[in-house]
Amino acid sequence: MSDPRYEIYEAGLIGEGMHTPPVLPAGLRRAPGGVDGLRTEHLVVNMGPQHPSTHGVLRMIVELDGEEVVTAEASIGYLHRGIEKVAEHRRYDALGTLMDRGDYVAGIMGELAAALATEQLLEVEVPPKANWLRSLTSELNRIASHLVWFGTFGLDTGAMGQFLYAMRDREALLDILEAISGQRMMFNYVRPGGVVRDLPPGIDAKIREFVDTFENVYLPEHDALLGGNEIFQSRVKGIGVITREQALAFGLTGPNLRASGVKYDVRVDRPYAAYPELDFEVPVGEAGDAWDRYLVRMEEMRQAARMIRQCIDGMPEGPHMAKVPKLIKPPAGEVYAAVESARGETGVHLVSDGSEHPYRFRYRGPSLFALQALEEILPGHLLADVVMIIGSTDVMMGEIDR
Amino acid sequence: MWGAGLLNGLRITLRNMLRGPITVKYPHEKVELPERARWAVEPTFFEDGSPRCTACLTCVRVCPDHILSLDVETREDKSKRIVRFGYEIGACMMCGLCVEACPFDAIEMGHDYELAVTDPAELRRTLLADVDAASAAKHREEKAKASGEAGEGSDA
Repeated sequence: MSDPRYEIYEAGLIGEGMHTPPVLPAGLRRAPGGVDGLRTEHLVVNMGPQHPSTHGVLRMIVELDGEEVVTAEASIGYLHRGIEKVAEHRRYDALGTLMDRGDYVAGIMGELAAALATEQLLEVEVPPKANWLRSLTSELNRIASHLVWFGTFGLDTGAMGQFLYAMRDREALLDILEAISGQRMMFNYVRPGGVVRDLPPGIDAKIREFVDTFENVYLPEHDALLGGNEIFQSRVKGIGVITREQALAFGLTGPNLRASGVKYDVRVDRPYAAYPELDFEVPVGEAGDAWDRYLVRMEEMRQAARMIRQCIDGMPEGPHMAKVPKLIKPPAGEVYAAVESARGETGVHLVSDGSEHPYRFRYRGPSLFALQALEEILPGHLLADVVMIIGSTDVMMGEIDR
Repeated sequence: MWGAGLLNGLRITLRNMLRGPITVKYPHEKVELPERARWAVEPTFFEDGSPRCTACLTCVRVCPDHILSLDVETREDKSKRIVRFGYEIGACMMCGLCVEACPFDAIEMGHDYELAVTDPAELRRTLLADVDAASAAKHREEKAKASGEAGEGSDA
């Protein structure tokens, strides 16, 4: 051996057994002896919870062999607020305030799930206008949520510009949602029985103007800027493949499932709000890799813009709130209601004992299932791809930790 | 051709550069809030300057975070005196449920969004202190007056 790197071995500075720690830290596996008798160990890297690319407070414990992931473990709970327990002390009309803080980028959909569950318990018929307003705000919120994903997914790959452009468009959306509901993200707009307020005067024109520019100018630009970029394509294509079987086995829903080729959408399969009357397509991917997840989400934004236009055009007249008692005391029972949120099937399981507070409140967050699938698909990828695969699944820690 | 997308991206970025900024220079320029914007809770008053609050405690019961408090003294003639209407703005999530629940429109969500303080004690606000609560009769009177005026207006 004439290589100078091995001189220390020849000099006897590090002898056999000297560089082997006597006790390995927990979770560390000893690699088999490499070539030239050089022993390498697996390296455990803590990504997060404050790593900028783990989207919130996700901590990935990644075991690396060189740059290759051997095992990946998601450590969650850094954003735990006990939403499900707190809900047992909240009145039914205040459940929406908790759901807003679950999936905080797509609050309307969470509120809607809680409201649908309460309505099932109460057996209330929601007026048609409320249904249309629910669909309208849901789709506005879906675009806002997908824009956050689009921006941060690009950031994960190292692109910066499109993040700022995505935030610009989201800002316009949040202004519209603030004018409708009163707040930018913690809307508290959808209530059991309908929605709390009608559209403010003059917002139709604003929404129309936004949708026109977004659909015709901004969205094609976003797609060309990030998806049309060859570096991005070569970086994203083929990584993080979730097969159809895996996706179903892990209980994935939403764009992550559809990218794997399963056509399941709560809006179509278990329709709610005004979706049966709206005309839209459900995009489905084939390969289930990060690129397919990108394509599905981009197409979903296009379809959402289409639906917003239909909602504005076809908005029926009438009351926006059904007659619901001020103090909601539903009869005892157990219900499950689900909506298609930006990340998948957001469900609420409510158990009522007839009092003014729920007896049990369970929040099904779709990101939790996507995160568990990550542990299986990450091994074998490079460390640099881990960030991108997490980004492509659009996990939201607010609803995972609850 | 490999690289065509990169050039196209450059073109889009340049186009966006020419679109101009969408931000405002915040402390000097302020964006107008929409009418429904919900910020800190504020009490409302009659035209004569007395509070509209009747100390009925509806808002205190409705608040999901239990941050509103009302200390009330009831006199012998059943009239009420508000010793302190407390509001923990540091714990308020501005959901607006108290304002919706108030039967007398005695509180509203204000538009004051510059809520940062340097002293934690300022997070414990006092909305009303040491004032007489409005009576339901006064609200009825005002309502009658308002409807009377509206009626006159519709006649004319």
